[in-house]
Amino acid sequence: MNKTRPIALTAGATGAFALLFAATPALADSHTATVSVLHAIPETPVDVYANGEELIADFMPGTLAGPLTLPGGEYDLTVYPAGADPETAEVAVSLDDVEIPAGADATVVAHLTEAGAPELTPFVNDTSAVPAGEGRLTVRHVAAAPAVDVRAGGEVIIDGLVNPNEESVTVPAGSVSADVVVAGTDTVAIGPADVTVAEGANTIVYAWGSADAGYELATQTVQAGASAPTGVPGGSAGLAADEGMPAPLVGLTVAGLAGAAFAGRKYATSRV
Amino acid sequence: MRSSVVAMVLGLVLAIGTPITWALTRPDATAGTTVEQAIDAPSPSAVPPSPAPSAAPSPSGAVPPTVPALDLPPVPIRDAAPTVAAPVPPPVRLSLPAQGVTAPLDAVGVSPDGQMELPEDVDRVGWYRFGPVPGDDGSAVLAGHVDDREQGLGALAPLRTTEVGDVVVVTGATGAETRWQVVSRELITKQVLPLDSIFNREGPPRLVLITCGGPFIPELRSYRDNVVVVAEPLP
Repeated sequence: MNKTRPIALTAGATGAFALLFAATPALADSHTATVSVLHAIPETPVDVYANGEELIADFMPGTLAGPLTLPGGEYDLTVYPAGADPETAEVAVSLDDVEIPAGADATVVAHLTEAGAPELTPFVNDTSAVPAGEGRLTVRHVAAAPAVDVRAGGEVIIDGLVNPNEESVTVPAGSVSADVVVAGTDTVAIGPADVTVAEGANTIVYAWGSADAGYELATQTVQAGASAPTGVPGGSAGLAADEGMPAPLVGLTVAGLAGAAFAGRKYATSRV
Repeated sequence: MRSSVVAMVLGLVLAIGTPITWALTRPDATAGTTVEQAIDAPSPSAVPPSPAPSAAPSPSGAVPPTVPALDLPPVPIRDAAPTVAAPVPPPVRLSLPAQGVTAPLDAVGVSPDGQMELPEDVDRVGWYRFGPVPGDDGSAVLAGHVDDREQGLGALAPLRTTEVGDVVVVTGATGAETRWQVVSRELITKQVLPLDSIFNREGPPRLVLITCGGPFIPELRSYRDNVVVVAEPLP
């Protein structure tokens, strides 16, 4: 079980918080980054602007935009109510100088804090390799709610997750019935829902929403390095084995050698 | 005296000739190109990748810390609610007409020891379900036991006699067939099996058939090598 520490970040309209992503997975393209945006603020369609340009229009809660391929660099992200004129409208939430390093795979989430205030949180998606037959399951708490536990098939796999943190586990690929409970209790907050953990991928589950609007799950799948099995077995009896030279041929060879030696000896003695 | 010279020469010819003749007449361990070349080689129809657009890279190669200009394509948006992916219909039957092999296929995964799982029944062949379905991009792997102490020889025992050009037919779940042509057969020591090539999920469609072969090591109850056959799609 591996755990990744979250990137906690306070979004502010004025703050210039340079965000350095914890990990920069090496990808083939050294100049671009892969970026997705999840809208997890309930009941509020929005427009998303990056560096003053409209990136996503009429963005509905519970939807995921992307993946986008963007040049690596720093971005100023601003979110307005859908249809508002950015010249005059009040900013819903913004985050300046978000550094998206080239080569990274990241998801920016517009969501509510535990207290219910809108916030933008960028997460780096772990794309490192997982063993063959397994998948990475990452859970991100972006709901206006206190700490939660995440259960799969009734068993707690992640405990005490708080907004806006994330945690990852590596599990056998396949479908799991997942639910989210209030930390340390059996009080189900979300679910259960069937979640498919894809092999060789990072399946990211977001717990989002608020007490008023209800809590829901959102999912995103990011390719991680798939691994090959460690080998291929294939037989236990030796019936199909490549044998050495068959016994009759070995006999023939030995007989030839013996004959030659005998004749050579006879020849040598006859010359004396 | 003369007769003893003749006998000596004959004896030497026998002693040297027998092993050489045996070595020359046994079947080749390999046929065609190497497995790695066969898997990685692009298909004849493959289009070479166009050079990546490079928009005035900075001399240092580093990304300038300035705000990049955005040239934004339309953004795909989808509902993020959890969905359960429909399972991929697995292939059901493998046949090698030239070797007289027909075997049902089972979808298999990974054993607890990390190796590819194989059907217990040596008459059945496993399809690696985490890789592509035969015909999709990447390397579809089919493997089976070559033999078993109780069950005798397995369905894939004749794999080591395949030749370049032999046809392989895989029947899909819907009854549709994909046809393949052998381009490589190789006997590879298990420790150096090119697993990342064999289980590659990208690249042109390939069919890879694997069983065991080479000398049997009784102490390990295992063969030393894998027989690996690579086939390309037939039009």
